[in-house]
Amino acid sequence: MKPNKRDVMWISALGIALLITLGFVYDRHFAPEWKDYQDEFREMIAEKYGEARAAQVPAGVQQIWVKELNRVDRCTTCHQGVEWKGMESAPEPFRTHSKEPLAKHPISKYGCTVCHGGQGYAVDTESAHAVAVEHWEEPLLGAEMAAAYTVSDRNALLQVNCNGCHRYDRETKGADVINRGKQLIAEKGCRACHVINGRGGTVGPNLTNVGELSPEQYDYDRLNGKKSVFAWHMAHFKDPKAMSPATVMPNFGLNSKDAQALTLLVMSWKRRALPVEYIPGFQQADVPTPEEQRRESEMLTGKGAFFVRKGCFICHDVSSFGIQSASKIGPDLSIAVTDVQSRFGRTLEDFLAQPTGTMAVVLSTQIHLSNEERAEAIEKLHEAYKIKEAESGKAAQGEARKGK
Amino acid sequence: MEAKRGIFEKLFWTWTPKTEREAGDSVVRNLLLHWFPAKVTNASLSFGYSFWLGTISAVLFALLALTGMILMFLYVPSVERAYQSIKDIEFAVAFGWYLRGVHRISAHLMVAVVFLHMVRVFLTGAYRNGVAVHQNRPLNWIIGVALLLCTLLLSFTGYLLPWDQLAYWAIMVGTNIASAAPVVGERIRFVLLGGNTIDQNTLIRFYVLHCFFLPVAVLFLFVWHMWRIRKDHGLACVDRLARTQKRIAAIVPTKTYSLLGVAKGRTVHVEASLVDEESETVPSSPNLTQRLLVVTLVTVVAVSLLAIALPTPLEEAANPKVTPNPAKAPWYFLWLQELVTDTTIHLGGFTVNGAFVGGILIPGLIVAGLIVWPFLDRSPVSAAGVWFAAARRRQNTIFLLLVLAVLVLTIIGTFLRGPFWHFYWPWDAWPEAPKHF
Amino acid sequence: MKSLKRWLAKAGPAEKPEGSPCEKGATRRTLFHKIGVGSLLSGIAGLCYAMMRPLVPDVLYEQARRFKAGAPDSFPEGATFLEDQRVFVFRRDKTFHAISAVCTHLGCTVKMVNLNQPKTVQIGGKPVEVHYEFACPCHGSKYYGDGTNYAGPAPKPLEWYKLAVSPDDGALVVDLSEPVDKNFRLTV
Repeated sequence: MKPNKRDVMWISALGIALLITLGFVYDRHFAPEWKDYQDEFREMIAEKYGEARAAQVPAGVQQIWVKELNRVDRCTTCHQGVEWKGMESAPEPFRTHSKEPLAKHPISKYGCTVCHGGQGYAVDTESAHAVAVEHWEEPLLGAEMAAAYTVSDRNALLQVNCNGCHRYDRETKGADVINRGKQLIAEKGCRACHVINGRGGTVGPNLTNVGELSPEQYDYDRLNGKKSVFAWHMAHFKDPKAMSPATVMPNFGLNSKDAQALTLLVMSWKRRALPVEYIPGFQQADVPTPEEQRRESEMLTGKGAFFVRKGCFICHDVSSFGIQSASKIGPDLSIAVTDVQSRFGRTLEDFLAQPTGTMAVVLSTQIHLSNEERAEAIEKLHEAYKIKEAESGKAAQGEARKGK
Repeated sequence: MEAKRGIFEKLFWTWTPKTEREAGDSVVRNLLLHWFPAKVTNASLSFGYSFWLGTISAVLFALLALTGMILMFLYVPSVERAYQSIKDIEFAVAFGWYLRGVHRISAHLMVAVVFLHMVRVFLTGAYRNGVAVHQNRPLNWIIGVALLLCTLLLSFTGYLLPWDQLAYWAIMVGTNIASAAPVVGERIRFVLLGGNTIDQNTLIRFYVLHCFFLPVAVLFLFVWHMWRIRKDHGLACVDRLARTQKRIAAIVPTKTYSLLGVAKGRTVHVEASLVDEESETVPSSPNLTQRLLVVTLVTVVAVSLLAIALPTPLEEAANPKVTPNPAKAPWYFLWLQELVTDTTIHLGGFTVNGAFVGGILIPGLIVAGLIVWPFLDRSPVSAAGVWFAAARRRQNTIFLLLVLAVLVLTIIGTFLRGPFWHFYWPWDAWPEAPKHF
Repeated sequence: MKSLKRWLAKAGPAEKPEGSPCEKGATRRTLFHKIGVGSLLSGIAGLCYAMMRPLVPDVLYEQARRFKAGAPDSFPEGATFLEDQRVFVFRRDKTFHAISAVCTHLGCTVKMVNLNQPKTVQIGGKPVEVHYEFACPCHGSKYYGDGTNYAGPAPKPLEWYKLAVSPDDGALVVDLSEPVDKNFRLTV
């Protein structure tokens, strides 16, 4: 059977073509951009700290998964130096992250993009920084974006993300631009016309979740230059009538910096469902009432502090010192002087030296009293008894007087 | 047969037969080849007659099935995870971008190639029965139309799965066209979406349709399609060959099967090939198999190159609150969307929704027309299996005009429609899309 | 391998016109054909690898193997079961240790059983008094309080894991990726 020679030639040629095509595919697989960065970082570490530490540098795609915030950030694939000490002066992407913000916002619990913006899923610079890519609404709010808007402070823009969680703070440390914005809200009396965070007038629109508006919702007809929500708000704050001629909002004559502060502030007002542990200042704890606090401090510092310190109060009241037991398992110690006598037929001193029953177990396992402490206990108990006696004496007199 | 064969010879011998008999045997005995005839005509093998469009669509379907099966392991059909899993496939799964690229390119190409296949069959009049008995090419044409519709549905259901803005709003527009059907339209949309809005119910419905029911339907129809080709004695060009050879005398039954030996009424004839001329036919193995391999390889290489060259888009995560501007249906439905916008008719106080005219009425008529056309075509048998037969000039012209209209509308919808569905020439810049920063 | 080569050679445009003047061209064609079929086979192998490799994940959505379990003082005396990570943390006054709750047989979570009366058992030839033990609900494996398996199908003792104190906030750090021996104690 003669095979068709032309077809056989074609099969050979196409086999080669297939292999070459796959070559491109494999090249992308085996030589991604991030591998170059990882190699470079490992070399830097080897140079600085030796091969042993360089071997500890993780290889492959790195990922921080913050389930609570639904964030997947692969930034550390290239930015490997973020948590390394000693790379503070290294060039990006290898530099150590500044210490202060990380102390309260550990990377494992926050990731990167929740503050910095950018596309955490991506593992190539262009898609990850997302400064000029389509279809990603959170660009990296860094130097490049700041330069595009001629914002002098390169960290100013990312403060919009600080306020995602810190929106109810009066002042947030490190977020100066946002703080300035909040100050301006109060100074200029914005709430006269606008509802902000649930309070204010209804002349203007409710601004509580104005940051939620999509870019398509704004009217850019009167805006020159780049069409963005940021640019629109900047222009609007500087001259409200220029953006919406029908508005009654006065022109506050804001300078660029103040307009920026307000723009970032209003853009940060988004509807956010934060897990409680991410809400700043929110304590997951019972807050004691002032009365409870007063009683607690009295118990801890008052005359009966000894019985609290040693743990006697877990079972016993010492009512004459104002000490209340949680469980009241044992009798009130204020009357111990006579009570011990009547229960055990022994003196208090004798009983404490050689306890029997429950107290024998307690004093041998849970509460260890030294001789001095035992003496102190006896002294205090006598004092408590005197107070009790005086009280009951008064009460008896009062009764007697009534009887007459 | 050779006495001694190595293991590879044993495995591959059907591709390198030494004698005619071996070649014939190889086709009959091999599971993968048994649906081929033992010999094929040169005319059927030629690129110029069929352009191998049917084979290419089958190869594309195979590519889609293979990549799709892998993607099924990686994709999570849930509203919360779908978008994220696509991002993972794109960025963090080894070769994920390639799989997704091949799947997407193959899907788009398959729609185009199946359509072109249909155009080819129409223009060559290949849905006409020829001279052999028991031919039923019109039926195979209808199966083909069903395959085209299945292909469109497969592509459409797959469109939603990435759960990005493009997907969400394309399905929004697409399913609302369905709701324009009179009486049952709203009901159909409700069942299709599993509710009134596109949500988890919709996603899982589309997923199951996309990954199971539609592929199975295509597989079944494909088998039927192939079987019918064999029963119809090959491509229509073979009939033509037989006619020109003028040697079709009486059909000679070569075998007769009968039930329990009682031959009553009609028997099933298994005829010999219509064209048995040495000069016109070659053994299927290796001639057909080699050409199949060529076509397969061309398709695989072309799809791979396109997948490498064209990034696979993924827009923002689906957001029911924001309609992108413009929101477009998948490109193969854009001629419909164009019709939908152009066909809302106001007659006094009476309004006919364009969605009904352009989305239901016209495509419905087209599909109905396609199904019945083979039965209306009264051209002579000699016009079957020839490109642009003179006897079919008028219907070919009308058909081409329709195809042209669909193409023009598709091109307008795809490339010349911008925000607010305004018309933009390719050299007109669209207005800049606003962003947050 | 030999038969593959033979097959490759045979698969080529086999019929060489014997003694024809264009024999040189034919050999060149055969070589081209061999390269072609070779690339085709490697191409198919490459495609298969590209299809299968995606099933090996490069990133994981799993809990960190090293995690903070809270301040040491927040642990009561005795055992604390961390059910998310399936590990017991034991505190005895100021010393801590951690024992895995994953049965070494087939990975079920073992249950801690407090004994009514302490019993003395031989562990490693030495008598040890135990107050509690672990029992696996799946196939009845049993372990002494120090994780030593003594009954059922369990092939080896329960793992002990390294504990450390986090330098930044003083929290107890459990490292499930670092098994330690039974003498390990963290003193805070």
